Amino acid sequence: MKIVVCLKQVPETNQVKLDPVTHNLIRQGLAGRINPFDRHAVQAALDLKAQVGGEVIVLSMGPNDNEYCLREGLAMGADRAILLSARAFAGSDTLATGYTLSQAIRKIGAVDLAFFGRQAVDADTGQVGPIVAEFLGWPQLTLASQLTWTDQGLQGVRRLGALAQTLAVPLPAVVTATRELNDPGYLQPRQIKAGFQQPILTWNEVDLEADPARLGVAGSPTVVRKILAPQTKTVPTQYLNPDPQAAVAELLTALQAKNLL
Amino acid sequence: MTKIPEVWIFAEHQQNQIEPTVLQLISKAQAIAPTFKVVAVLLEAPDQQLEQTLAAYGPDQILAVKQSQLEQVADVEQAMILQQLVQARQPNSFLFGATALGRSLAPRLQAKLQTGLTADCLDLYFEDELLVQVKPSYGDNIMCEITCPERRPQMATVRPNTFAAVPVEADQVCQEIEVLTDLTWPKVAHFDILNEQVIPTPPASLAQADRIVALGRGAADPASVATARQLTAALNAQLGVTRPLTDDPQFAVSNQIGQSGQTVAPELLFCCGISGAVQFLTGITQAQTVVAINSDAQAAIFGVADYGFVGDAKAFMTALNHALLAKNA
Ligand SMILES: Cc1cc2nc3c(=O)[nH]c(=O)nc-3n(C[C@H](O)[C@H](O)[C@H](O)COP(=O)(O)OP(=O)(O)OC[C@H]3O[C@@H](n4cnc5c(N)ncnc54)[C@H](O)[C@@H]3O)c2cc1C
Ligand SMILES: Nc1ncnc2c1ncn2[C@@H]1O[C@H](COP(=O)(O)O)[C@@H](O)[C@H]1O
Repeated sequence: MKIVVCLKQVPETNQVKLDPVTHNLIRQGLAGRINPFDRHAVQAALDLKAQVGGEVIVLSMGPNDNEYCLREGLAMGADRAILLSARAFAGSDTLATGYTLSQAIRKIGAVDLAFFGRQAVDADTGQVGPIVAEFLGWPQLTLASQLTWTDQGLQGVRRLGALAQTLAVPLPAVVTATRELNDPGYLQPRQIKAGFQQPILTWNEVDLEADPARLGVAGSPTVVRKILAPQTKTVPTQYLNPDPQAAVAELLTALQAKNLL
Repeated sequence: MTKIPEVWIFAEHQQNQIEPTVLQLISKAQAIAPTFKVVAVLLEAPDQQLEQTLAAYGPDQILAVKQSQLEQVADVEQAMILQQLVQARQPNSFLFGATALGRSLAPRLQAKLQTGLTADCLDLYFEDELLVQVKPSYGDNIMCEITCPERRPQMATVRPNTFAAVPVEADQVCQEIEVLTDLTWPKVAHFDILNEQVIPTPPASLAQADRIVALGRGAADPASVATARQLTAALNAQLGVTRPLTDDPQFAVSNQIGQSGQTVAPELLFCCGISGAVQFLTGITQAQTVVAINSDAQAAIFGVADYGFVGDAKAFMTALNHALLAKNA
């Protein structure tokens, strides 16, 4: 089975800086790490490969230092890594990212399954997996919390609020991974070392035969027009009597007047 | 004549119940777009009557697709139906709850329509016909205003319990219900539902609670927790905690309020021994009435409190328990 896992590199911390002019993330000098959910996606792919055989390819779109998340995927046991890196990809929103990744999956060819994390912890959208599925015309199993391979094919469980659905998914398909899916564990130094010894293939927009109008800023319908600090409401506070009993009496009267008790 | 712009809301439902976020979105859309047409878009099976629930919140129109194929339907099929409706009627915007289904379905539809989608919004407003979408990023440390200037519809998923759902007066209940029964859509590969099982939600569903007593490190000792539990029983409230208290095995993330816990929207919230860190405050912005109890008069929690008591949390909760007992006796 040929399995692609899409990896996003996210900042090490959430204390990030943004470019005041372009409103894009200033990436220089920010250590990156693999999006935590994507580790579960890699593990799911490796587990499936252990059962049915095949190949696991990790794929990431971003600047050259996105190599780190691919190295982590290789260290976990992926067979090879592809980086999509080009100026033309800069400033992509989820639609352009989904298009670019879907073109890469087409180019890889004969892919049976594409795994994603349920969402990236920086932008928190969770859109890229379903967008790729749509562009490839594949079914999607989002938020997979269990996955099994049987004679009948791929089956998984997802939670929609209180409802747990068991779904059978025909291949090729997109699966987005939750934390409940597996436990990727920690990497051994030996694995990390091995991850750094493998080559990484780099593709640009020409390799992808991509439509330039659908890439990067040009292919991104959304605009981040302002960045704000989180707001909290400020209300005039009515201070209660310092004596607990008197304070409670005062409060109960006020709450009853507002029909809150 | 130019067409009145329409704001559509996807009327998600489960087990024959409308998802509460849908009703919140109907009320919000009416508030921010009084001159637009607010349309609830419902996909249901022929024996369902969910338009009744929607009508009470006063959308201008309910567009219901009622077909037997909708008894069991994959995300991909729902996206195809919505695509047809959007292409035929060209709404200005289309809003979804940021629920598990909304976050699976909306991006699929977005890709079909090649438009923008903003995830997990905490606020929305219009500038003329431009929808300004306010969403948190980097773990709620930053808020971004996002727009989709050129493509339509403008799409967003909105975090549950961010807005209040307000039923309308009897004379404003929605009268315009359009029912479609003969839509067709192509057969495409999709999942089959083998089994559905309702997993009982843990009893302490903080997100839905109308009244919450929340404890922080200043009210974390066993005696304070016991007093707070009596208080929750007397008030018919749920117990919530700040993050440090989840180190105690009696509290889990499902009990935690805040950025990395639950977003809550109670009518009445008691914050006992809570300093008011920004990560906690982002989880309570929708609380209607906040009572803060803290021994430090400078604590940030008083900045969001309607009522403040500067003093010991346990003493206050004990006095409140006595007063409620006396009142109910
Ligand atoms: C990425 C990230 C995510 C986070 N997510 C969350 C989250 O989701 N939810 C959350 O709550 N926190 C979260 N935090 C932690 C948050 O920053 C604060 O550390 C936390 O909210 C503080 O909890 P507290 O108010 O209970 O404790 P403290 O800040 O220690 O405050 C205790 C308060 O109790 C008062 N007090 C002491 N004794 C008494 C007494 N006898 N009577 C009355 N008052 C008394 C003190 O004056 C003080 O104000 C997060 C942090 C990070 C970095
Ligand atoms: N630039 C990227 N390169 C590779 N995969 C990505 C990229 N962005 C998002 N993804 C994948 O899509 C998932 C959801 O990301 P998001 O939609 O940004 O929340 C991630 O967990 C990754 O699997």
